[in-house]
Amino acid sequence: MPSAGRATIGVSAVALFLAAWEIAPRLSVVDPFFTSLPSRVLLAAVDVVRSGTFAHDIAVSLMEFASGFALALAVAIPLGLLLGAFPTLRDLIDPPVMALYATPQLALLPIFVLWLGVGMGSKIAVVFLGAAIPVIVNTMAGVRQVDRSLVLAARAFCATRRDVFVRVILPASLPAVMVGIRLGVSRAILGVVVAEMYVSQEGIGNQISRLGSAFRVDRLLVYVLLVSVFGLAMTTLVRKLEERVA
Amino acid sequence: MTPHIRIEGLTIAYEKPREGGTFIAVAGFDLDVPRGMFVTIVGPSGCGKSSVLLAIAGLTTPSAGRVLVDGEVVTGPGRDRAMVFQEFALMPWRTVVENVRFGLELQRWRGEDLTARARRYVDLVGLQTFEHYRPHQLSGGMRQRVGIARALAVDPGILLLDEPFGALDAQTREAMGDELLRIWEQNKKTALFVTHSIDEAIFLGDLVVVMSKSPGRIVDTIPIDLPRPRAIEIMDTSPFVECRRRIRAGLGSEASHA
Repeated sequence: MPSAGRATIGVSAVALFLAAWEIAPRLSVVDPFFTSLPSRVLLAAVDVVRSGTFAHDIAVSLMEFASGFALALAVAIPLGLLLGAFPTLRDLIDPPVMALYATPQLALLPIFVLWLGVGMGSKIAVVFLGAAIPVIVNTMAGVRQVDRSLVLAARAFCATRRDVFVRVILPASLPAVMVGIRLGVSRAILGVVVAEMYVSQEGIGNQISRLGSAFRVDRLLVYVLLVSVFGLAMTTLVRKLEERVA
Repeated sequence: MTPHIRIEGLTIAYEKPREGGTFIAVAGFDLDVPRGMFVTIVGPSGCGKSSVLLAIAGLTTPSAGRVLVDGEVVTGPGRDRAMVFQEFALMPWRTVVENVRFGLELQRWRGEDLTARARRYVDLVGLQTFEHYRPHQLSGGMRQRVGIARALAVDPGILLLDEPFGALDAQTREAMGDELLRIWEQNKKTALFVTHSIDEAIFLGDLVVVMSKSPGRIVDTIPIDLPRPRAIEIMDTSPFVECRRRIRAGLGSEASHA
């Protein structure tokens, strides 16, 4: 199907959903107290943006995401490469890494709060752990799955160990690293929002939690929508990068 | 005069990772290859013919015996030898011309435009219109042309070809053999070509080495006196048929012992 046709279908679906959402409460099919209305959400968005804490909450959440994620990449990519390249090291570290991979990073939030307090530190730790583990696991797998014949070919042309690593292993495992990063993005966003919902005094997750307790579904949805748009944008960005390295 | 390549009592044994013990891939392999000769090694799969090539390339260490190139013992890969692989072994993230550049980069070629040099070899194998394609966009035959161009670009004295056409269909295979001879005739580098196809071995070689299976030994060496340049039609001539019969006999007698 041509992309124009697909776009039309997509836009129509959204329009249809919004229309149903707007009309259903007005016809008393559902209670607007629970669902709000698109028009109210739109008005709430204006209020939210005008409110004094909006910019601050966004800044806090973004900061937590960015620092945790940057830290995760800085640690996880080199570590994953190292673990992929040295089997002994891998045997040593693999069990705890796999255990962490299977554990929701949020389960450790109480410990992080104990160590780092209720501020940004504990959120950064949650983001870090959430993003780092999939990057480590996928990078490691990427290195291990490098086609041995490529390494042999490089060695046949007198490649040094460094050449093999830089010119074969690294580029060959890049697509797997990107898969890890894409998985890491969603875990990191989840980490920020949920950690803020549980223990914090600021940030988007904190607002969502407060607005929920105050039964302000319209304003709550403004923040949820923001998180969705951000997640979509980040995932699309990583996908574009993936296409370039593949 | 010393032969270009001398192989003395080459024995290659591998550890069996699962059941333990050793597997002897090649046993007591002796061969002298004069400069400029095209030698083909034919034998059943698992007869260690590829191991012989890896030993000459310096990519595997002999358990016993040794390989000499120009009188010097081979201890590792060298700029005087280049290899073409059955599974092509092209870097998927590099374009055709970048893949041909790969060997030049690794061998630290200096004082000339490497891309221009790579491009000349891409032209030589007839891929000029595909130089910016990635390997996955090419057919098997075209991929192996890239592999051959990559090996030739570093101007090796010795060309090692490990079942280079093994992954290709029969028709492409014949055309590639023809093409390889055309390129080889231009500078007659010493070539060692491993194959399991008897016809391919005779068609390409000045000398056919017939190997038996486990452990891999030479059962026959047959000089091929067919005139060059050779065309596909030569396969129907009686000297060719005679060679084919002799190789079959060599391989067959081995099979009946097994």
